[in-house]
Amino acid sequence: MTTAFPDQTTDTPADATGYNFAYLDEQTKRMIRRCLLKAVAVPGYQVPFGGREMPLPYGWGTGGMQVTATVIGSDDVLKVIDQGADDTTNAVSIRRFFARTAGVATTESTPQASVIQTRHRIPETPLSRGQILVYQVPIPEPLRFIEPRETETRKMHALQEYGVMHVKLYEDIARFGHIATTYAYPVKVNGHYVMDPSPIPKFDNPKMHGCPALQLFGAGREKRIYAIPPFTRVESLDFEDHPFEVQGWDQTCEFCGSDHSFLDEVVIDDYGGRIFICSDTDYCNQRLDADARKEAV
Amino acid sequence: MTTPNQTRTPKTPALSLTGLCGGFDDPVQQSQQVFRRALTALSEPGTLQTLPAADAPTGIHPAAYQLCLALLDAETPLWIAPALKSEALVSALRFHCGCRIVDDPGRAEFALISPDIDGELTRFAQGSHEYPDRSTTLIVQVGSLEATADWTLSGPGIDGTRKVGITGLDPRWPGMLADNHRRFPCGVDILFTAGSVLMGLPRTTRVEI
Ligand SMILES: [Zn+2]
Repeated sequence: MTTAFPDQTTDTPADATGYNFAYLDEQTKRMIRRCLLKAVAVPGYQVPFGGREMPLPYGWGTGGMQVTATVIGSDDVLKVIDQGADDTTNAVSIRRFFARTAGVATTESTPQASVIQTRHRIPETPLSRGQILVYQVPIPEPLRFIEPRETETRKMHALQEYGVMHVKLYEDIARFGHIATTYAYPVKVNGHYVMDPSPIPKFDNPKMHGCPALQLFGAGREKRIYAIPPFTRVESLDFEDHPFEVQGWDQTCEFCGSDHSFLDEVVIDDYGGRIFICSDTDYCNQRLDADARKEAV
Repeated sequence: MTTPNQTRTPKTPALSLTGLCGGFDDPVQQSQQVFRRALTALSEPGTLQTLPAADAPTGIHPAAYQLCLALLDAETPLWIAPALKSEALVSALRFHCGCRIVDDPGRAEFALISPDIDGELTRFAQGSHEYPDRSTTLIVQVGSLEATADWTLSGPGIDGTRKVGITGLDPRWPGMLADNHRRFPCGVDILFTAGSVLMGLPRTTRVEI
């Protein structure tokens, strides 16, 4: 088997490429599969995994790629989003990669996808039972900033010594008057493990709680896998006098008028003109389509 | 299922291809399909997952056998309960998975058992507080699995509660499962099989009778 990067320009079916199904070799897949079974059995706990490197730059989210390659089957329909968008270079590349190496169908529609790989967002459209959301994780250990030693962070998780997390959040309050952490906001899973939800905006944190879909997290550099089973309690850390709050906007989406989705600010001209649009492109498009249908009736 | 590739020469004389139980026809696709059902079983405890009908060594459920084929290899020590440990099973698993069969259940990453085990679930690897993932996954062959009946499950993967019925478990099991649940984050995880049907019961699941 060759280890060269799959050709980006030709559309050959999976069997004709000479690559393993979904690229990974079967032994690596089995090992990651066993880790995934333990990850769902101990929600929020980081399972270490071994195996070979995927020959991709880390910006691609090798951890997410490895998890997707391990769970995906020929019946799956894959959606890939990068910061909410299906059409960025990264999202398109990853989608093509699996279309080519696994022959899977792909989609931009959240409800039609059975597996969704994401970087930095949870779709606005509520997920449903049977779907799997795969997160690309750059730094899996939420305690790393305070304790560089793995042996120590493992002990802290075992003893649920999470006071330092609260101290960090409280320092925000002392300095800014509110909790300034807006991305990768730590959560506690099923009342035990404190977990890094990956750099999603804290706006998305409430979507993790009781989510009917299975949530899987892959960190490629540190080789960690963790999971949140469906319908699991996920609480964002906070204080009685400073309860957890999500971001809000005074503006609405320029395209679809949404007043409840996560908005990106976009500069539109050289004179400082700016608009706000939904970061979830599929959600925005579906709202526009629905409006168009209403007008047509 | 068909007989394995006849051109492959067994490395140890104990292996005999004559009458060896077959493996997957298409290992890549079938392993993925079996894994996904195991993943759903453990992430939605108490749901029934049906695997395809398949041949299995005498006394071994098709679901249990397919789980072994999909998940085991040279890196996974397996413990087999004496009552299930036939020459046919050991030969088939050695041939198709290359897995090591171990005598100490405390060293097993997987264990294939029937409910009438000697002793407690603590005989198996429990994992440590630092590495709770290093615990045995039990494949337990039971009489039947039903989507309703006398047990009420709750915990991660369950929206409220879920009713299940498992036959063939002796009266020790509810207590053993409760003890296992209390040991969290340590403890074993269980995949119950009945014929081609599979049900997961991870350590996080609370069982009420
Ligand atoms: Zn919009």
